[in-house]
Amino acid sequence: MLELKNLKLSYGTSQILNGVNFSVKRGDVVSIIGPSGTGKTTLLKCINYLVKPTSGTIDFDQIRMDYARPDKATIQAIRLRTAMVFQQFNVFKNMTVLQNVMDPLVVVQRKSQDEAREIALMELDRVGLSAKKDQYPAQLSGGQLQRTGIARALAVRPDVMLFDEPTSSLDPELVGEVLKVIKDVTSSGITSILVTHEMQFAKNISNRIVFMDAGVVAAEGSPSEMFDAPANPRLAQFLSTELETQ
Amino acid sequence: MFNFGILLPDLLSILTVVPRTIAMAVTIFVFATILGSVFTLIEHRRIPVLRELVIAYKVFFKGVPMVIAIFLAYFGLPPAFEFIASLVGLEINGYATPSWVLLIIALVGCLAAFQAEVIKGALNSFDTGQADAAHSLGYTNIQMSRRILLPQIVVAAIPDLATSLMVTMKALSLGFAISVVDIFAQAQLTAALNYYYLEAFVVAVVVYMTISYTITRGADMLERSLRVW
Ligand SMILES: Nc1ncnc2c1ncn2[C@@H]1O[C@H](COP(=O)(O)OP(=O)(O)OP(=O)(O)O)[C@@H](O)[C@H]1O
Ligand SMILES: [Mg+2]
Repeated sequence: MLELKNLKLSYGTSQILNGVNFSVKRGDVVSIIGPSGTGKTTLLKCINYLVKPTSGTIDFDQIRMDYARPDKATIQAIRLRTAMVFQQFNVFKNMTVLQNVMDPLVVVQRKSQDEAREIALMELDRVGLSAKKDQYPAQLSGGQLQRTGIARALAVRPDVMLFDEPTSSLDPELVGEVLKVIKDVTSSGITSILVTHEMQFAKNISNRIVFMDAGVVAAEGSPSEMFDAPANPRLAQFLSTELETQ
Repeated sequence: MFNFGILLPDLLSILTVVPRTIAMAVTIFVFATILGSVFTLIEHRRIPVLRELVIAYKVFFKGVPMVIAIFLAYFGLPPAFEFIASLVGLEINGYATPSWVLLIIALVGCLAAFQAEVIKGALNSFDTGQADAAHSLGYTNIQMSRRILLPQIVVAAIPDLATSLMVTMKALSLGFAISVVDIFAQAQLTAALNYYYLEAFVVAVVVYMTISYTITRGADMLERSLRVW
């Protein structure tokens, strides 16, 4: 359903993505792992064009774009079918939890207030935040902020969910509540791409693991292939250092 | 001896120019803020050529003392107006331009450079992650600015904007150099008649402080009512 080919991107003189090939099938839950700074976040942001690759192509169902010739309408079409959950939450600070979830429905999807509210309340219930709906972000914990971000993403009914290290900025005791919600979302069948350092979690929820290293996809396979018998020496090394730190 | 009896007449005399001073300060403030916003937008969007012009403009007006800018306007603008009018075949008397108009133009020119920095500061306080989130959900730049960016940066800018409104009001006292009468100039003129300079300036200080206190309190209340989060 989603295929990226030969993606390249550089910031100034440093080449971050060196020709990434990456694809996802409908219903897949794909986790992207890899050392810090290898371009995992960057890859995810290429999909919805929050960063601008210099070359490569994207195929998203019927939508097609060559990154060398970006096109506003195509970018918008992709954005309308994806939703992203950010490492830093990025909830709108001037809006309550409920408004955060409703606003895209009203502003972008042009739904009525009533319809937007109904959907938003449903999603907030799903992430367990109904009681906090009228609070502003400044009054919430990291876990609650991230669950707001997840509810906002779910409410637009995306075809693909993009999670960028959703628990990396959380205090350890708050990680569990967010992982529980993500697990619930991915097991509902929505196609998901998850960048994470939570190896055990990735292994549990994913049907495919992608290992990125030095700006390329260095290895990919099923969770058991990747975690139990890593063929790639860099992957084996990465996993052993990750397990040590966890 | 300090003459307490003269304070009330002085106050009444100075109060007659307060509305005019405030009106000029607000006019300058509004135009300088609009111009400063345009400058910041040009810089932020990195519009070529215009961006370099804005930077040069800011260097000039931040560096030149306001009183010199006022004299430049006073002596330079009337012939400039005549020249521009002659280009379209009109004959006007540029020297008939009232001094207060020239003062307003000069101060708008100076303060726009400072307002641009105030607005830039507020813009930089906005964390771009929220813009990323909005764009990822399909917001256009305009929708994102209206719903998320502006509500936050306007509130962030209020304290600095209140300060620059007071700076503007004080800058008007330089208008004395080209005989525009504000609070300070009126104090000066009142004292010139009776030689009670100290008394007149004490009254002027009280008037300035009252205005300043009112602006500060007003800005605080505005900020608190807008910062719902
Ligand atoms: N806006 C930017 N300007 C310049 N360099 C950047 C920018 N954003 C990211 N980088 C660099 O690009 C590289 C890849 O960053 P990216 O965030 O994609 O890594 P990552 O794999 O997500 O790492 P992590 O696991 O730490 O989140 C890093 O070396 C980073 O320093
Ligand atoms: Mg990252």
